[in-house]
Amino acid sequence: MKEYNKEILKDAANRLLFDMTDEQYDTLLNEFDIITKQMEIIGKDSLIDDLEPMVFPFECSTSYLREDVPSTPLDKEDAIKNAQNKQEGQIKLPKVVL
Amino acid sequence: MKYMNLTIDQLHDLLVNKEVTPLDLAKEAIELAKKDTNNAFEYIMEKEALEIASKLTEPEIDNPLWGIPFAIKDNISTKDVPTTASSNILNGYVPLFNATVVEKLLNKHAVPIGKTTLDELAMGGTGTSGHLGMTYNPYDETHTRLAGGSSCGSAAATSAPIVPFALGSDTGDSIRKPASFVGLVGLKPTWSRISRYGLFPFAPSLDTVGFFTRSVKDCAYLLNVTSGRDENDSTSSTKPVDDYVSLINKPVKGLKIATIRQINNAIKDEEVLKAFNNTIEQLKKEGVIVDEIDLDLNMLASIFPTYFVISCSEATSNNANLDGIKFGPYCEGNTYQEVMFNARTKGFSELIKRRFVFGSYALMRENQQELFLRAQKNRRKIVNAINEILSQYDFIYTIAAPSVAPKKDESSDRLNEEYLIADNHLALGNFAGLPSITIPIGLKNKLPFGANVMARAFEEAKLFQISEKIEQITGLKNLNAKEVK
Repeated sequence: MKEYNKEILKDAANRLLFDMTDEQYDTLLNEFDIITKQMEIIGKDSLIDDLEPMVFPFECSTSYLREDVPSTPLDKEDAIKNAQNKQEGQIKLPKVVL
Repeated sequence: MKYMNLTIDQLHDLLVNKEVTPLDLAKEAIELAKKDTNNAFEYIMEKEALEIASKLTEPEIDNPLWGIPFAIKDNISTKDVPTTASSNILNGYVPLFNATVVEKLLNKHAVPIGKTTLDELAMGGTGTSGHLGMTYNPYDETHTRLAGGSSCGSAAATSAPIVPFALGSDTGDSIRKPASFVGLVGLKPTWSRISRYGLFPFAPSLDTVGFFTRSVKDCAYLLNVTSGRDENDSTSSTKPVDDYVSLINKPVKGLKIATIRQINNAIKDEEVLKAFNNTIEQLKKEGVIVDEIDLDLNMLASIFPTYFVISCSEATSNNANLDGIKFGPYCEGNTYQEVMFNARTKGFSELIKRRFVFGSYALMRENQQELFLRAQKNRRKIVNAINEILSQYDFIYTIAAPSVAPKKDESSDRLNEEYLIADNHLALGNFAGLPSITIPIGLKNKLPFGANVMARAFEEAKLFQISEKIEQITGLKNLNAKEVK
């Protein structure tokens, strides 16, 4: 596996928009050590080099045109029902353009 | 307890004969749920259940689910009922629609009585990581043993027994492993057989909706009514739905089973092995052909890392929508990125964050070839090997877990054979999308353990046929914690 250290993992976490404590990054580093060793089992196997990556368990193609049946979409009230910060029928966020 | 220790089949007879009403059953299940000491429930649907049950007055003879109470894993959407996936980031979230599987059960007039706990976002195998804490194994009054996960609450509620069946979801073994630990029948059907519309996605190439029951036949009833194409889930199969009860009780003579020597060898518990071998001897007496075959040890040891890389990678992108803005607790911040950052930092537990970081790392351009794509290639290699076996045999039969339910603090060396193979081989069914069922085969010091049967894709009817025979052999139909204790 490629290089990993606390800084790389912290950067990855921050790009996922969260942070962890120093201790938690240490635990994660240990986990990376274990999974690296486990992945070596796959790494040794040259027979898989030419296989196609498997995305789904079996072919499952969907190509259909639905009937053009009118239906009612979510109304505005329902669409924002679960948002906790809202105002005048809209979800409220900090200003994007200051 | 008067009724909740009975199977769906038995309850149906009582309902049809008007010896009990759906309202009686719902009230009993709700009372039991309120007294639950195993931390099985996120939310008890008392008002909803009583309202539904009170309207059911005329029994439907041909509908075995009419008036039957059930529980729903809390990562399955329920209209107007809080659904948290046992994660703080979804506290307060109330879906606006029912998952298709829930809708189908409601259409059959089954009665939902509660939402059950899980490992946070279904990502875990212990039943300890949900925001309400550990869910306990109903067989262990000391509250030290795991119910297993991630569908821990559904497992505990069906086993206790509080309900005769419960919905779960299975991405690696999240129904079938807990089923072994709490002595239940646990089914993961063929991938795409049941619509996943309304199931919170964890790793969609592996995710499957399934059930816990206390008999094989009950499982077959449930698959009959929950299977089928759903236009809201483009991955749901268009294959016709079978009558899954049709082969139950039919002779099993001539059916062919493969057991895998390397998995059997990885199991160290003599009592579990003895019970497993006993079922094989009895099946042979019924005319079933059973062969022990070989699979490459390294390939079996690679199941877990392959699963870990694929599932974490899929999960990290699937859960990007959990941002504390559209739903979930709002956290203040100076920018919208800060709002999300604070909500996600506060909302996810450490375990989930670690998995997301790993998944993200595996997907990075510089690592993708070596991690994510290599795991996907290895998945194909494993699936080819499994399908090769199933071209010659009807079933693959294995022990479901290394032993009885472990205690919370019993840690595994995650590099040894017992952990990598005996504890993780059930993910084979998810890799290949095959139907896979766990059934109890014995008790050790009053703690249950199970075996697993896997069949070809869409051959659930045959899977139930052989499983029901094993159920007859063990005599462990309708096993439940209360009666064993």
